[in-house]
Amino acid sequence: MFTIEILKIYKVKKNFGELMALNSVEVTLNQGDILGMIGPNGSGKTTLFNGISGIYSLTSGEIFYKGESLKNKSPHVICRLGIARTFQIVQPFSQMTILDNVMVGAMYGQGLSLPQGRDKAEEILRFVGLGEKIHLTPNEVTTKDRRRLELARALATDPEVILLDEIMAGLTPTEIDEALHLLRKINQKGITIFMVEHIMKAVMSISNRIIVLNYGEKIAEGTPKEVAENPEVIKAYLGERYV
Amino acid sequence: MAPLKASGYWLRFLTFIFMWIGLAGSLNLLTGYTGYLDFGHVAFFGIGAYMTGVLMVHLGMPFFPAMFIGAILAAVMAVIVGIPTMRLRGAYFAIAMLAFAEAMKQVVMEFDRFTGGGNGLSLPIYTNYLFFYYIMFSTVILTIGVTYWFEKSKFGKALMAIREAELAAEVSGVNTFRCKLVAFGISAFIAGIIGGIYAYWMTFLYPGDAFNVLITMRMIIMAFLGGAGTLLGPIIGASFLAAVEEVLWAEFKYSYLIIVGFVVVFVVLVLPRGIVGLVKEKARVK
Repeated sequence: MFTIEILKIYKVKKNFGELMALNSVEVTLNQGDILGMIGPNGSGKTTLFNGISGIYSLTSGEIFYKGESLKNKSPHVICRLGIARTFQIVQPFSQMTILDNVMVGAMYGQGLSLPQGRDKAEEILRFVGLGEKIHLTPNEVTTKDRRRLELARALATDPEVILLDEIMAGLTPTEIDEALHLLRKINQKGITIFMVEHIMKAVMSISNRIIVLNYGEKIAEGTPKEVAENPEVIKAYLGERYV
Repeated sequence: MAPLKASGYWLRFLTFIFMWIGLAGSLNLLTGYTGYLDFGHVAFFGIGAYMTGVLMVHLGMPFFPAMFIGAILAAVMAVIVGIPTMRLRGAYFAIAMLAFAEAMKQVVMEFDRFTGGGNGLSLPIYTNYLFFYYIMFSTVILTIGVTYWFEKSKFGKALMAIREAELAAEVSGVNTFRCKLVAFGISAFIAGIIGGIYAYWMTFLYPGDAFNVLITMRMIIMAFLGGAGTLLGPIIGASFLAAVEEVLWAEFKYSYLIIVGFVVVFVVLVLPRGIVGLVKEKARVK
């Protein structure tokens, strides 16, 4: 099958003083991928996302988006190029309405005017299932809806790649199924998904490939089945009872 | 709004209230909408005042162009000082600005050939107080207009997003640094205009007055009292505090500041979101 490399993470290192948070990590995302990233707490997953979205500068190595280096680019530039992200701890604009939250993404992420941004934001809020709640503030809705809002704001920037940092944490099994359905719909729109997720059932069922980080190093990569059967992964992450 | 038969006292009182509404509104643009608490905002008032004074006294420039240049200088200084300080957040920015205002006072003291230094600077005297009433009133209109624009525009939404969650705004495509600098510049420009009018109105400038940290404190108290980040907050806060002070001052010549202090503490404790916040909450409960 013909594949197009959309995001290439090349020998990425990130040190925080003595601590090596990422050590020569290499990952390639092809267009249309749903790539899952798993690993124990502190293994560098969020650090890698922060490196891609320009929040951290890398100690060494480089990241390429459609062949273009992201070195020294600010987060807002990287967003406008087409890489959106959500945060593990949701960061809504609390005193603004849900509609305004998403409008910010639409207006600044894809350069729309105010009225265009409003139309786009309403469309996306309906898509993620928040169509009825656009005039509430984020504090007036549930955790699940705040996660949807985080996702909607990222989608509003019209990304080609979206980085999802544990968007299913704390959801009930039914809500996880809803979320998986939504992610598949997003992927069907042609958006490449790179997701960190702790809920094994979810990440195993949706990803076409999975990478595993441990202590800042990539220790495995493959299909969900390959990864689940990899002895090193089982030792590092899944626990003895999976052996 | 014309005080047809207003006496000197009322004219002066209302002109002062307009001045404080403008100043509190100027601070509100930066602190209320963008989320940057500025303990040195008086610097831009002082820069506007002194630039107006220096241009009128030494170059014989008419008032309006002098005031305009003073306000431009205030905005430019905000952008220059903002480039390093707007990378700081919270208390660090506030303290850096406090230091900046004190530094500006020293600069004015130092360049005494132009500014008169510690001897002060006397401007050409103009006693048409109705003129100052109207021009101060027009700064209120200007401030309300700009605040309304912040409230409704694409740019304003970016600023509010920065206030609520700066990193999330940045990764949503907002050039947060540039937006903050522009907001800072606009805020300083308005404070600069008011400084220029104040200079011509008072006809005498002294560094300790024009850069008085208490002016900053009053702006902050007024904005928060009324409701920071709202259109009406600074208007209500400034009018309320000025009126309370005036009444108390007449009744309790020596202890009124203590009472004002208690009123402010009480209002902040009971109404954390200001007077406008209280009204909005009541409206929501219904």
